[in-house]
Amino acid sequence: MLRFAVPRIVPTLAAAALLAACGGPPSAVVPGGSGTTARNCGIDVTVPGPPQRIYAAYQPAIEMVHALGVSDRVVGTAYLDAQVLPEYAAAQAATDYLPELPSREALLAANPDFVVSGFNDLFATAGSESLGTRASLRDLGVQSWIFSPLCPSADGMADEAIDPASVTIENVYSDVRDLGRLFGVEDRAARVVADMQARIAAVQQRVAGASRPRVAVVRPQDDGTFRVAGGPDFVTRILDIAGADNAFADLQGRRNFPVGPEEIVARDPDVILTSTCCDGSYTLSDAEPDAERIRTNPAFAGLSAVREGHVYGFLFADRAAGVRVPHAAELVASLVHPDRR
Amino acid sequence: MGAAVLVAAAAWLSLLVGTQPITPADLVAALADPAAGSSAVVLHLRLPRTAAGLLAGAGLGLAGAVAQGLTRNPLAGPEVLGVNGGAAFAAVVAISLVGVGPLGGYVWFCFAGAVLALAAVLAIATTGRGGATPVKIAMAGAAVSALLFSLTSAIVLRNHDLFERFRFWLVGSLTRADLPTVLQATPFLAAGAVLALALARPLDAAALGDDTARSIGARPAVVRGLAVVAIVVLAGTATAVAGPVGFVGLVVPHAARMLTGPAHVRVLPLSALLGALVLLMADVAGRVVLRPEEVQVGVTAAVLGAPVFLYLVRRRRVAWP
Repeated sequence: MLRFAVPRIVPTLAAAALLAACGGPPSAVVPGGSGTTARNCGIDVTVPGPPQRIYAAYQPAIEMVHALGVSDRVVGTAYLDAQVLPEYAAAQAATDYLPELPSREALLAANPDFVVSGFNDLFATAGSESLGTRASLRDLGVQSWIFSPLCPSADGMADEAIDPASVTIENVYSDVRDLGRLFGVEDRAARVVADMQARIAAVQQRVAGASRPRVAVVRPQDDGTFRVAGGPDFVTRILDIAGADNAFADLQGRRNFPVGPEEIVARDPDVILTSTCCDGSYTLSDAEPDAERIRTNPAFAGLSAVREGHVYGFLFADRAAGVRVPHAAELVASLVHPDRR
Repeated sequence: MGAAVLVAAAAWLSLLVGTQPITPADLVAALADPAAGSSAVVLHLRLPRTAAGLLAGAGLGLAGAVAQGLTRNPLAGPEVLGVNGGAAFAAVVAISLVGVGPLGGYVWFCFAGAVLALAAVLAIATTGRGGATPVKIAMAGAAVSALLFSLTSAIVLRNHDLFERFRFWLVGSLTRADLPTVLQATPFLAAGAVLALALARPLDAAALGDDTARSIGARPAVVRGLAVVAIVVLAGTATAVAGPVGFVGLVVPHAARMLTGPAHVRVLPLSALLGALVLLMADVAGRVVLRPEEVQVGVTAAVLGAPVFLYLVRRRRVAWP
């Protein structure tokens, strides 16, 4: 694919972008004459007024902007892992959508003033998908946001630099609130958080006291190996809410780990979920072939999950930190605790 | 004989080493009784993996020895002639455009890709003055290989999802092959090996140059044609089983010649054995170094092969006989 390096940048917010960092509390939002500031992944994000040209990259970011009701201010969306939740379908259909991530040029051509990313590799210097560091975008007047449970320790870093302590549902709530304030929709954000909290509490109540099955979230690869979700992946939290444990929670330092089938045999998880990805048309039924590959793998015939029929299709989209967490937790709870519906 | 013993030992090791500790007693029990506790791991993971390593390693070693004999070029090998690259590229194109099933279909695409790539290399090398000299073959092969791997990368890296699924075709690995794949590949590899071994004496004659070879009754054009068929079948099958694995086909024939001298009657079988030995040991190493993660054999083979190759270069053993 040819990409033309035609600069079409209109730095509308350069002055605001140059505000120096002021060491407040981690999530402090300071409204005032100089704009609104929120701290995200150690970076002060300041907007002079609510952003009017928002770009949302990856599923969690796309669903976040729709949940906050700012869809009419979205100038572009990119890279869905699956269909958006039904309540956002109409809003999403009205946006400009790219199935792949944009190039840096394509992003800037959309002339965004704010980029929300559901994952950290968008701004990682080492990544093949990088649009440039957040600092390099701020220099062009484009503010940015990474979902806090994926904060790398420094701008330009990625999954290898996630602080496991930051992978919490509380950080999802604070993202909703902070983005709500930056976007000028605090009340809506508060309602979104309250609704999420209520649904998550309901799930936790449903599964309270039940035994906690060990769940492996695995993605079959073309070479016969598997990518499993490790401890710092947000699915560990979702499993926790749904009354289960990540069978690979001890793998730290990244979100995904390549392991051989023997490792899965050795750990013998009670439940196996696939991690089917990445197409904006996918629904849960598209995960079924991956599940069937695991069920019919002769090396797995002796696994508890296979013998007892506890291998389920699951979408990568339901692993992520974001407003989808209640939906994902309800789904996982119904799979791992079917008796507690 | 020593090499055969070492290969057997490596195969034994490859059956025992992995995430799950398997003792020799477990192994015997699993082979004797498919219902035994560890039999799933042995029968469906360790055994196919070991067989794939034996097949692919022997195929790459033989293909490299034939390629070096054919081109009289110490830098020749299936990967330098574009054969691995062509096979991998064809497989990726087939999967992404046609969506071939997981088994069987790959082999034919790999062969087709290998043939086309090798044909392109030889055609490019034959143009111009002086015909297909070793240097021109090596240069054409390097250019075609680079092009094919770039195109493969371009397809595979197009998005996260394709990369996740197809990275096997960028870096070889023994974990993909299951027993049916290995069984399908075996006849191809056997046929390629028989053909290669039958070419031992003609390759010795070819080493003397076309004119001398003709004067002692050899037919260089026929030998060249058959050798090309052998390389394509051997390296194409190896790639279908294990993906593109570099360095084995390049380094192993040098080691074999170092051990036995230049006669192909001895170099060819020894290259097959050493190829299997190196690939199996590289795979075992890949299971151990980063536990519980696994390193693909394509990576460990290159990491192990490069220093050996540099050592051979420093010892000046790569000087052509």
